[in-house]
Amino acid sequence: MTLASLTKPWAATSYGFLDASAKRELRRKMLKAIAVPGCQMPYASREVPMARGWGTGGLQVTLTLVNPQSTIKVIDQGADDGVNAASIRRFISRVSGAAETWDTLEASIIQSRHRVPEETLAADQILVLQVPNPEPLRGVEPNMSIARQMHADADYGRLWLTLYEQMVRKGRIMQGAAYPSLVNGRHVMTPSPIPRWDVPKLNMAQHLTFLSAGREKRLHAVPPFTRVEPLVFSDRPYRVEDHAELVCRRSGVAGYFMNEIPQDQGGSVFEISDSNLGIKAIRQAEGEVVAIGTTWYRNGEYSA
Amino acid sequence: MAYVATRGGEKAIEQAERLFRQDLGTIDIARVAAIRQSMPYLIDRVMGEASLYDEDMAALALAQTGGELSEAVLVLRAWRTTQPRLAVAAPLRQEHLLTQRRISAAFKDIPGGQILGPTLDYSHRVLATDVFEGIPYHPPAVDAAARPAPMRQPSLADWQRQQGLVAPATEPQVARDDIPDLTREPLLFPASRAHRLQSLARAETGGVLALGYAAMRGYGNAHPTVNELRLAEAEVVVRHPCGTEFSAGRVRVCQAEVTSKEKGGFLELGFAASFGWNEVKVIAAATLDLNSAEAPLGSPMHEEFYLYHTESVEASGFCIHFKLPHYVTFQSVLDAMRDAKAKAAAADAHDDDDALAQARQTEPAE
Repeated sequence: MTLASLTKPWAATSYGFLDASAKRELRRKMLKAIAVPGCQMPYASREVPMARGWGTGGLQVTLTLVNPQSTIKVIDQGADDGVNAASIRRFISRVSGAAETWDTLEASIIQSRHRVPEETLAADQILVLQVPNPEPLRGVEPNMSIARQMHADADYGRLWLTLYEQMVRKGRIMQGAAYPSLVNGRHVMTPSPIPRWDVPKLNMAQHLTFLSAGREKRLHAVPPFTRVEPLVFSDRPYRVEDHAELVCRRSGVAGYFMNEIPQDQGGSVFEISDSNLGIKAIRQAEGEVVAIGTTWYRNGEYSA
Repeated sequence: MAYVATRGGEKAIEQAERLFRQDLGTIDIARVAAIRQSMPYLIDRVMGEASLYDEDMAALALAQTGGELSEAVLVLRAWRTTQPRLAVAAPLRQEHLLTQRRISAAFKDIPGGQILGPTLDYSHRVLATDVFEGIPYHPPAVDAAARPAPMRQPSLADWQRQQGLVAPATEPQVARDDIPDLTREPLLFPASRAHRLQSLARAETGGVLALGYAAMRGYGNAHPTVNELRLAEAEVVVRHPCGTEFSAGRVRVCQAEVTSKEKGGFLELGFAASFGWNEVKVIAAATLDLNSAEAPLGSPMHEEFYLYHTESVEASGFCIHFKLPHYVTFQSVLDAMRDAKAKAAAADAHDDDDALAQARQTEPAE
């Protein structure tokens, strides 16, 4: 036996960029996160070749999950060709050999910033959300040591109070994206800055969702078939963005979350935020055979 | 696919990066060597913040980023994270450091003596504009002292402990291989002292200075007196798998120990050390360390505040991420704002209570 036979051939970096000890830590934390839905698990969070706050948390989870049979979709604000999304997708593919796709239906791992795709995710798909700030209590308690104590005590009174104050002052809850939500009846989480439109998609979903914040070194998870309930008062039900009637000016589809495009002459037009769904709709209209998945909403009403 | 073609940012982005790199020109080994040779303190600063001691890599990072410090640190750290951790070096002892500068502001003289070493502290900060007139600046030669200073000096804190001025060390002895490593464990609070000092060692110089200055100026509770400041070279002693210990080379290190008023009959000490020579950073960091114990929770002098907010890679990354599109979250805010405005307008239209109550009832449920 030679020494060389005991080792692997030298490589500049490990498979999937992260070394084995980093992946091992992440896997342990990901399993813990699944075991205690919505609870934030600290992890070391390694430096990766992109700036903190640009998806390094999601990237570390994806790099841990990926294998050569994976098909990767990366979206930013719903678009696959956003600069950072394209860059992350290329990087993952380069270091793992995984296939790349824009199609939600083909992807086995979907890493996303700020959106849950509009086509319903299946049980064999994993959604990885990039999270800038995983702490729902940050607004009411900036100190992490105290916030952790409050999570331990399920002490969310101050969070409820801010929602109540908004209602008194403004007539409605003003929380835009990142709506605080109770997971499995125990931990309140920040569901990454996805719009209110996307939060119901996590409730009792078939798919597994990881939410990972590289800069803040925390990850949490929503396992399949887990309750995710936005914090609302019994007489003021949760309300998603008023986008049901908006029509995409390019694809003509309606009933999805839209981007508003201000016009020179005043006023605005709208484009579907899930850009590849828009592309598929255009292709279908042009006569191509395109598979478009079922969606979570019907006429702007959540119906899954 | 017109939908895609009009987005077309990817090509522009690639050109933007090319523009940046074109401005910097060709990077060859000569340029890297020139940066390494001419800017040792900048190299030290980058190596310290990246927690990677490699002068050539640091010079390359500076060349490649055009001196954009936070980018240089990020490039180095991203490279560092791919490297295996082969060994844990033996802890440094102050009395073993090959000390080139060692001063104390607490005593006029100290055992082992004060050694000024290289410093600009007492210089006139005048630009050498003659260089532009074609007159090169030649540094005057150093006159050697009659008798060389000893290479190694004792630890002042050890002397203070013997005199009963400083509390005996109570930190538990940790086996060398069990020393916590911040780069492989998350920073949690209350932080262990090892994590606090490691985090300060790689903290951003400007950030540590700003918060350390705030602590000195009166927002903290302790006036730092420099007990001992050292610039030194240290042998990195590692263990070969066969069990022998050997030096893997020398690294430049600096350390500051600052002291404050007495507490419980003893002087308190704040400490910081870093790769490379960066006196301002270690004095400011040691002041933060000194202030930590009494800092009110949530104040900028509290360890959670300053450790989080002086992490250069995290802070700069988050700051520049605001250049990424945020139109989904912004749209969500707009939606809530328009709806609230519409509600307010509806309420104004019916100012008597009954009409308002009716309006609320007929509104769609929220």
